[in-house]
Amino acid sequence: MTDTAREEILGRINQALGRRGGGEYVSSASGTVPAASSSATGHAGSHEGTEENTDPGPPAAGGGTVNQSAEYLRTGTHTGEDLIELLIDRLEDYKANVHRVSGDPAKTIAGLLDAGSNIVVPRGLDDSWLQSFTGEISVDAPGQELSILELDSQAAVVTASAVAIAQTGTIVLDGSPECGRRAITLVPDHHVCIVRVADIVDIVPEGIARLTPDAALTFISGPSATSDIELKRVEGVHGPRTLDVVIVDT
Amino acid sequence: MTFLGMPLLRSTRHDDQEIPGGQGNIVEDESFAKVSHQHLSNQQLRNNIGHATATIRDKRSEVVAELDDWEALREAGSRAKNQVMENLPEYLAQFEKNFTAAGGVIHWARDADEANAIVTELVEANAPVLESGRREVIKVKSMATQEIGLNEHLETQDIDAFETDLAELIVQLGDDKPSHILVPAIHRNRDEIRDIFMEKMPDAGELTNEPAVLAEAARRHLRHKFLTTKVAISGANFGIADTGTLGVVESEGNGRMCLTLPETLITVMGIEKLLPGFDDLEVFLQLLPRSSTGERMNPYTSFWTGTTPGDGPQNVHLVLLDNGRTRALADEHGRSALNCIRCSACMNVCPVYERTGGHAYGSTYPGPIGAILSPLMTGVEAEENGSLPYASSLCGACYDVCPVKINIPEILVHLRGEDVEANHSPVSSQLDTALTGASWMMSDGKRMAAAESGLPIAHAVAGDKQINSLPGIAGAWTSSRDIPALPEKSFRQLWAENEARAEGEDDER
Repeated sequence: MTDTAREEILGRINQALGRRGGGEYVSSASGTVPAASSSATGHAGSHEGTEENTDPGPPAAGGGTVNQSAEYLRTGTHTGEDLIELLIDRLEDYKANVHRVSGDPAKTIAGLLDAGSNIVVPRGLDDSWLQSFTGEISVDAPGQELSILELDSQAAVVTASAVAIAQTGTIVLDGSPECGRRAITLVPDHHVCIVRVADIVDIVPEGIARLTPDAALTFISGPSATSDIELKRVEGVHGPRTLDVVIVDT
Repeated sequence: MTFLGMPLLRSTRHDDQEIPGGQGNIVEDESFAKVSHQHLSNQQLRNNIGHATATIRDKRSEVVAELDDWEALREAGSRAKNQVMENLPEYLAQFEKNFTAAGGVIHWARDADEANAIVTELVEANAPVLESGRREVIKVKSMATQEIGLNEHLETQDIDAFETDLAELIVQLGDDKPSHILVPAIHRNRDEIRDIFMEKMPDAGELTNEPAVLAEAARRHLRHKFLTTKVAISGANFGIADTGTLGVVESEGNGRMCLTLPETLITVMGIEKLLPGFDDLEVFLQLLPRSSTGERMNPYTSFWTGTTPGDGPQNVHLVLLDNGRTRALADEHGRSALNCIRCSACMNVCPVYERTGGHAYGSTYPGPIGAILSPLMTGVEAEENGSLPYASSLCGACYDVCPVKINIPEILVHLRGEDVEANHSPVSSQLDTALTGASWMMSDGKRMAAAESGLPIAHAVAGDKQINSLPGIAGAWTSSRDIPALPEKSFRQLWAENEARAEGEDDER
């Protein structure tokens, strides 16, 4: 059933694009269409159409990305303290609690956790960060994963992060050993997330450039929230309701 | 320059053998003019929607103004989506190869029925039968599954689908229909939501109308389902061709719950949702949240590429849905409607949507984008969808805010032309005649003056009251509009009198 559907849908697309037979692309975008029809796309759209005529093979061989030549900003202007200040401002705007630490963050982290409570951490987390914490630490590792119900009974989760985007107040977890698998940062109600200054970038394109989607990625901008009631943002729905961000210089 | 209102674009469709239109919740049962009339008289609805759209408009303007390169981002977004549409077979093949290589399974569905059947089969194979004799799945808000009527279909197959997005939950518990693609319960205010929760959540206890209290009630209501349900169904905001990655953009964490905790994940995505490369996200992750919720970034965005060993569902499926998208693609002047990333900015600025609400459009896709997308997917000749392109004042606000620069007014005009050709009605013939007459009369000052000399007589007949209905074809105009009371004199007559008086005054000087 599905194979037939695949062939039929691809056949319909070829027909819709005005291609005949084996993928030959008969474009009318390169001249016969009234100018008004391409006003939404501008000159770039018809330019691409022309290119396709000369090269009907798979698009954008290599990367596949078509935005490389656009004029939007690819790098931001904030650096040093300004960059860190921007990140803090944006995180706080979306109701994350931010703690800036120079030197050893262990005491700060312990101060954010209830003494004697139980927490979960990914296997690759820097041990030294938890040396001041006095409660019970469960390490989530391949083959030794906590069950969903066990995760539900943890007071908090402590992880590192891969990238932080200052302009939008966004922290990215990339499934690395120090970020952990997705469930551990989702089920516990309190997430303590450590951001290294070296991992802070200014704008979104700089953040994307540092990531690959080989593992699952999670972008976090403030704690769980909803705008579904009269479009007012309210923090605290299904994800962790408290997000503590610890920015460390090391 | 485009002259709005004048259908100039000739039809250039590429379907000699007609491509079938879509089915499901994209077909209006009654004409827009008829349905909207009922909604316009609902003052509560108008207040709720007016309040909500005003709020979101302001938020969007603020965060868009923060970016100096917003127009360049829109241009880049538009270009990326055009590139996808022009090369859709190649991108689909590339996506399929990468998603499959990463452990995912792809299914193709020509229409709503086929997609529903595929999902049902997958649920039956992976979700246990509970004591009630029924199966359960949890769902992330998804326009595609709304479009194909998946929940209703699953219901008939003894499968209960639980919506987990707060607004979808409000709609589902209220036995209601979504009226906005981002905030499906935008037509409900906090008091109404409280009443629905009090009635439908037996364990909720006493609730106030505070949004935070209501959100907390939703959290408690769904928590157990998230932690125990074996199968989840989602849509997708993006499919990345060069990596085989899928992405969901959300706020509450219900998406993360559904995408992470169950054993099986079934995603339904339209074939047009692809982006060429992972790097294109640098544009779309700026365009979408700012246009949609008016945030710099939404709280949570998840990306997954097939399966990730030891992390999340290990049984991952994707249903690629046509359901009329290829039909829309065949229309060269309309195909850019497929570039839509479902942000809903066009709804929030639309003077028509703000007054009628989303239900009047009769489709999963309401507002300006729905007024073009629904008829493009079904064909204008389908049922009453031919009326949708007229649900607009062509003010152009939707085009200004569209993050991928879909020229909605131009496509509306194009589709009106298609509708006139397909469904040329006696009304439009009468209109042609009337406009020809008006053109003859207005082209000559003497004829115009002669026509206006009848005004005092008409005023004597109608009196000082506004006119609520006119006979004949003009009745179609007054069916949704009132005409102000007629003046005693025309502007020309007043001008002439005024001139005469002024001359008199000059003489006296």
